[in-house]
Amino acid sequence: MTEKEKVYLLEEMFEADPDSLRSTTGLDSLNWDSMAFLSLIVLVNDNFGKKLTSQQIRSFKTIGDILAIME
Amino acid sequence: MKSKITCVGFYVPEGILNNDELAKIFPEWTAEKILSKTGIRSRHIASEDECASDLAEKAALALFYDNQIEPESIDFLILGTQSPDYLLPTTACILQNRLGMTTKCGAFDFNLGCSAYIYGLAMAKGLISANVAKKILLITAETYSKHINTLDKSTRTIFGDGAGATLIEVSESDGIGEFILGTDGRGWDKLIVPAGGMRHRNLALNSEEIVRDVGFARTMNDLYMDGPEIFIFTISTVPRLVEETLEKNGFSLDEIDLFVFHQANLFMLEQLRKAIKIPIEKFFVGLEEYGNTVSATIPIALANLSRNGKLKTGMKVMLVGFGVGLSWGATVIVW
Repeated sequence: MTEKEKVYLLEEMFEADPDSLRSTTGLDSLNWDSMAFLSLIVLVNDNFGKKLTSQQIRSFKTIGDILAIME
Repeated sequence: MKSKITCVGFYVPEGILNNDELAKIFPEWTAEKILSKTGIRSRHIASEDECASDLAEKAALALFYDNQIEPESIDFLILGTQSPDYLLPTTACILQNRLGMTTKCGAFDFNLGCSAYIYGLAMAKGLISANVAKKILLITAETYSKHINTLDKSTRTIFGDGAGATLIEVSESDGIGEFILGTDGRGWDKLIVPAGGMRHRNLALNSEEIVRDVGFARTMNDLYMDGPEIFIFTISTVPRLVEETLEKNGFSLDEIDLFVFHQANLFMLEQLRKAIKIPIEKFFVGLEEYGNTVSATIPIALANLSRNGKLKTGMKVMLVGFGVGLSWGATVIVW
């Protein structure tokens, strides 16, 4: 999956405007709430076959942090 | 001795917490957003002096009335709850008296949450097949609202109070199938009320605020739920649970007429349904009015399905419970 496609998935998940997300975008400025946690778990599981842990999720601060585990 | 579920009833308290009120307290989500994300529109909340035994009593009395059941004919009462009236005496003993049952019956409480109904059915089946009892009243009653901190948005949004009452009797045909049960104590602290038991008894310390999450401070007396971990546990465990339960009962997925899962939250239910490939029309979803009533979700579902004529004699229904403990279980009943 390309970087662009990954960002697109996150844009959809956060209901963010197209092209508004950068690696440095802070999650605090987005809908980073308990529902987003669950959506991210499903997104990563379905697209990358990876199981996130609650600890990992709580350590994410920026879009870049999430992109880093999307592989 | 074979056994079956004869009838199911329920009671939910009159007090309501709806999404409009939640949106006023927690303005980050609108009422509509709460509904679309969780599938919940309202939750029934017990009043200050309303306890699990009160909900249990009303559920049982409604069941007796609707089905012409004499309380004296019941020889065993099982109460599943995690918010008993007292640590002791056993709340089921109190109920024996209030419900007008004879003194010749057995009664006990057991402590499980989201999986309680399944475990309750398993115990009832066991008691009947061992000729310990013939007519069992299984009540699952919960007032999680009393464990919840009013500032905790996520738990206040999800949980509601309620009680289910189920009559299980000796029967000619096998109405309760085989069970798959499971436990993982590694997740013991993922859904927990830390104080209230014997482990933490310093009252002053228990009331102190401990910061555990962004936005508010919780005390040891409050319910703590690690939503993501519970979600991860559920999506890793439940599909396999369903598969094993089908196998043990000798059914294929298609042969099951209806699936009634513990009504945890809409997002989780939808993920499970998709992962297990259960057709929408066979997958019960009914938490809009009640929220997650923990051990009462399944009997409330069955009672409503029965009332609406959706449960026909002979239908094979898979019941699946999973959650706090961590604990899980499933079985197939024939209605």
